Amino acid sequence: MDALGITVQQLLTQLVSFLILFFLLYKLAYGPIMGMLDSRAEKIKDSLEAAETARLEAASSAERVEAEIAAARVEGQKIVAEARDAASKLREQEQDRARTDVELMIERARIEIAREKEAAVEEVRKEFAGLAITAAERIVEGSLDVKSHSSLIDKVLEDGLGERKN
Amino acid sequence: MGKLLKNPKLLVIAIAGVVALLVSVAGGALGASFGLGQLGGPIPFISIPAERVAYIGSYPLLNSTIMFWFGGIILLFVAWRAGRNVKDVPSGWQNFMEAIYEFFSGTVDGVAGGEPKSGRRFLALVSTIFLVVVIINWVGILPGVGSVGRIETIEEWVHHHIHDLEEKVHEEHPEYSDKQVHGLALLHLLEEHGTDTFVAFHGIWVPLGNGEQKRVPLNKIVPFTSDELHKLEDKIKVGDKFNEDPVYLRIDQDIREGVVKEVFVGGDDKEYDFIGKTAGLLVPYLRGASTDINTTLGIAIVAMFTVQIWGFRALGVRGYGGKFVVNPIKQGPISTFVGILEGFGELTRTMSFTFRLFGNMFAGEILLIAMAFLLPLIGIIPFMGLELFVGVIQAYIFAMLTLVFGVMAVASHGDHDSHAEDH
Repeated sequence: MDALGITVQQLLTQLVSFLILFFLLYKLAYGPIMGMLDSRAEKIKDSLEAAETARLEAASSAERVEAEIAAARVEGQKIVAEARDAASKLREQEQDRARTDVELMIERARIEIAREKEAAVEEVRKEFAGLAITAAERIVEGSLDVKSHSSLIDKVLEDGLGERKN
Repeated sequence: MGKLLKNPKLLVIAIAGVVALLVSVAGGALGASFGLGQLGGPIPFISIPAERVAYIGSYPLLNSTIMFWFGGIILLFVAWRAGRNVKDVPSGWQNFMEAIYEFFSGTVDGVAGGEPKSGRRFLALVSTIFLVVVIINWVGILPGVGSVGRIETIEEWVHHHIHDLEEKVHEEHPEYSDKQVHGLALLHLLEEHGTDTFVAFHGIWVPLGNGEQKRVPLNKIVPFTSDELHKLEDKIKVGDKFNEDPVYLRIDQDIREGVVKEVFVGGDDKEYDFIGKTAGLLVPYLRGASTDINTTLGIAIVAMFTVQIWGFRALGVRGYGGKFVVNPIKQGPISTFVGILEGFGELTRTMSFTFRLFGNMFAGEILLIAMAFLLPLIGIIPFMGLELFVGVIQAYIFAMLTLVFGVMAVASHGDHDSHAEDH
């Protein structure tokens, strides 16, 4: 033992020194670090769980949004189609109305023209009768009385007009 | 090689390296045989017991204890910085300490069964052993440790060595007086250790180059002839009057002076004239704590004692104690014998812990001393690195074996077949 330098005194010194070091290291470092590591592990576990729930939530809400978008798209398409139908119907109506209007106007114009023509013919006939009488008066100066010969005149005129008409 | 010539920086470094190597070889032990060897360090007296450097009251303070606490204070400082304000987001020292702690936490759990926290009970001791051993190993190879110290004079040396001889003489010749015993012991000491060599100090230094070949033998510090010694011995045996004998007075005087008295022939067959220089031995003020067997034994005892506590706590007194004490009638005498062997096993483990660490670190110290002697200045550099590595490896082995023994102790009887053997 002497040759190796082992003495009880020194052995105890080193042994106790080591134990003191062990105790102090535990107090100074291991204790705080161990507690901190455990609490950190707990925290990490918690935040991982929270992240997982958040991820699931996000996924479900994304799905919901997508479905809503799809529904909106269908709705929109329907609205557009309806609008297109309505527009084409309206156009047809307008076209129809315009066509009837035009036809109506044409009809009215035709009636007007016919009436005008008749009036004009009457006027001409009246004028013509007057002219014919005047001419005949001049020819037969006094021999012919308007009142007594009116039937003759009418006959002439009717013949004349009838010829012209025909 | 072409690359080397093109790059002037590399070239300079390479040349400097070669020059350093040549200087080192020439200045070291190899050069000494060609008359050079101006740089070799002296091989100090290698003492297995740690040396006493001071007394606190009557308590002898060892140089290894100083280094133990030096390392311990460094460790405590790091621990204090790491643990005084722990945060979830670590930084600085906490990062460092945490990395070590996490590493051991993982290892301990892995060895103890793989479940998280299954090795928690081993963790504190295993990591303390690692940290303490690694720090005392590392501070032990700092420059100045082992090479700065006090001169032990010839007078002190004689005082230390004469005690055993005095006892021997006293046993052989109980009739002699104390004075006679002392005188005879002194003569025996001179006869036995006359060719022991001492370092010649130049002031407080041992200059480089005063290597092994230039150590002064004792008989050039305390000159004597065997004729003189024989005559003196006869005188001493007659009576107490011998201490007026001129030869005895001269020897006594020389021992007290402790300086080189004569020219001597060194190990390289050359004459050296160190007359007047103080001769003695270097007692280092500092010594790596793991090169003192008290330290390694102390840690080993703590480790193995704790292993027993773990065993008793896990299996109970009957469960764990039943491993060592087996009833020969119930379970057969062979089991009893095996139980006794188990008990011895715990002791041998303590011993193997002690000597493994001590042996490795002490050998490392001697290796560094030898390299300073063989290849001065540069030879020590790679071996310093090696010693740093060995320091970590030994600390790791110590810690891991403690863990393995602990795990084996807490395992119940059934799965106790596989022994991890020592390395």
